[in-house]
Amino acid sequence: MTEELAVAKVGEIGEDEAIVVPRATTGTLDDVAVVYTGGEYFALDNTCTHEEASLAEGWIEDGIIECPLHASGFCVRDGAVQNLPASRDVAVHAVRVEGDDILVTPNPDRLA
Amino acid sequence: MSAIASVVVVGGGIAGVTTARQLRSGGFAGTITIVESEPACYDRPPLTKAAFVDGASLESLVFATPEEYAAQRIDVIAGVRATAIEPGAHSGRRVRLADGRAIDADAIVLATGVRAHAPTFDGGALPRVSVLRDYADALRVREFATPGTTIVVAGAGLIGAELTSGLVALGARVVLVDPQRVPGAAGLGATLAGYLHSLHSAHGVEVRQAAVAAVTRGDDGVLVTLDDGATLPAHAVVVGAGIAVDPELAATVGLADPAAGGSIVVEATGRTAAPGIWAAGDATWRRGEDGALAPCAGHWDAARLDGAAVAADILGGGTPARGADWYWSDRYGAHIEVVGRLVGDGTEVVRWAAPGRPAAVFRVADGLLVGAASIDDPMTVRAARRLIDQRVPVAETQLADPGVRLRDLLRSA
Repeated sequence: MTEELAVAKVGEIGEDEAIVVPRATTGTLDDVAVVYTGGEYFALDNTCTHEEASLAEGWIEDGIIECPLHASGFCVRDGAVQNLPASRDVAVHAVRVEGDDILVTPNPDRLA
Repeated sequence: MSAIASVVVVGGGIAGVTTARQLRSGGFAGTITIVESEPACYDRPPLTKAAFVDGASLESLVFATPEEYAAQRIDVIAGVRATAIEPGAHSGRRVRLADGRAIDADAIVLATGVRAHAPTFDGGALPRVSVLRDYADALRVREFATPGTTIVVAGAGLIGAELTSGLVALGARVVLVDPQRVPGAAGLGATLAGYLHSLHSAHGVEVRQAAVAAVTRGDDGVLVTLDDGATLPAHAVVVGAGIAVDPELAATVGLADPAAGGSIVVEATGRTAAPGIWAAGDATWRRGEDGALAPCAGHWDAARLDGAAVAADILGGGTPARGADWYWSDRYGAHIEVVGRLVGDGTEVVRWAAPGRPAAVFRVADGLLVGAASIDDPMTVRAARRLIDQRVPVAETQLADPGVRLRDLLRSA
C-alpha cells in the first residue's frame, strides 16, 4: 500500500503547465510530473522514455504532453506514447484533489 | 483500400517505422513487414550527437525491441537489401530481396532514404576518408577521433557542424573547412548561422573558408590539400557534402523520376504514380497542389509525417494536417530548434539573450510569423509552430522582447 502525498495546492499549477515532484519526495524510480490541463490534474513519470528530458518542461495541449527535446507526445491520462522517437509509454500515478490539496498516490509498480 | 491485407515497407528509418507503427495502431489487421538493409531499424539523428560521443550501441538506437515489434505483429527483416519490385501473385506485387527471398504485398511503401554524397575530390576513396550516414560510419569516424588526433571535417552544414562538436567532445583537434563564409546562412539566415558558426572557433576548432581539393596518404594518416593551396596533415577526413539519391529499387518499377533528380514523386498522401506503391521520407519529392515538385525537406520530422500520411492513406482516412516543417540540431551542449522558413520574403526579428548571442530569431511576413528558431528555448519554437500554423498575427516588438512568452501570444489570440 503506497502512501498518498500532498504535492501542491490547487492554483499553484497553471493551465497547461506542470510541476516536478522529486523522486526523493515520492519514493519512486523517477521524478513525477504533475500536470494541470483541461480542468484536471494528472501525474506521470517525468523522464521521457527516449532520452534524458524533463517532460514537465514540455508543451501541454489537448491532453498530450510533448517532450521538450524531440517532441514525442504522451497521453497525460494513461501515459501512452503518441509518436516516435520514444516508443515506450511512461508510467502514470493516481491523483485526486481534496479541498485545496492535490494528492498523488505513487504507482506501486514504480516505487524505488 | 479495404482489399489491402499485406504491406511491405522497404526501409526501417523514421519514415518506414512510423508507417508500420501507425498502420498497426490505426487498426490495420493484415501483415506488416519492414525490410531494412542495415542490421536493425534505428534512429539516425543520434549518430552525430550524444550517441556518437558516448559510443552508443546499435541496440540503444533502435526504435523498438524485437519483443515490441512482435507484440505489434510487425515483422522485421534486417540486414538484407530489397533489390527489385516485381509482379506478384493475384495481380499484386512482390518485393525481391538480395538473398533471393521474395515477399508478396498488396501495398508497398518505399522509405529507402538517401545516401551521403560521396567525396568528389582526388583521394576521396582512401580508407581514412569517410562520410557519416549510418551506424558503421559513426563507429569508423569515432575510432579516428582519439584525443590528440587531428580530423579535417569538410562541410559545415548540419551534419558537419554536429560532428565537429562531437569530435571536440572526444578530445580531437578539428579543422573545419567550408567554402562559404557563413555556412548555413541560406537556410538559417546570416544572424543565426553566423552565431552558430562562431561556436566552432569559440570551442577551439580551426575554421577555414575553403574546400578540400585533394587528399593523399601522409606519414600518419593523410595530407589534405585545400583549394587555397594550404596543406594540412591529419589523421582522417570526414565529409559532409549533402545527400545523394539511391534510385536503384525505385527504378525497377519506373519510379526514379528524372524530373525529381531520380527521387520518387509523391502526392500529399504519399501515393506514387504506380498503383499500390507509396513512398515516404528522404527518397521522395512532393507534388504540391499547384503541380510543382518540391524536394523533401530532408529532416527527421518531415520523414515521420510522411510515414504518418502514408499510413493514414492506406487505412483509408484523410491526410493528417502537416504544419510548418520542424527540426532540431544539437552542438556544444546547445539545443537548437527551427520551424518554418527563416529566409526569403519578410523581415528578420532577433530576440537577443545577450549582445551577439541570439536566443531566438523569427521571420515575419505581412504581419504573420513564417519561421522561428531558438537556442536552448524549445518552448518558444513549439509555440511559434502553432502561431505559424494557426496564422496568428504577431507584433515584431513582442517577438524581439525576451520578456514575452510566445505561448501567451498564442493564448491571447
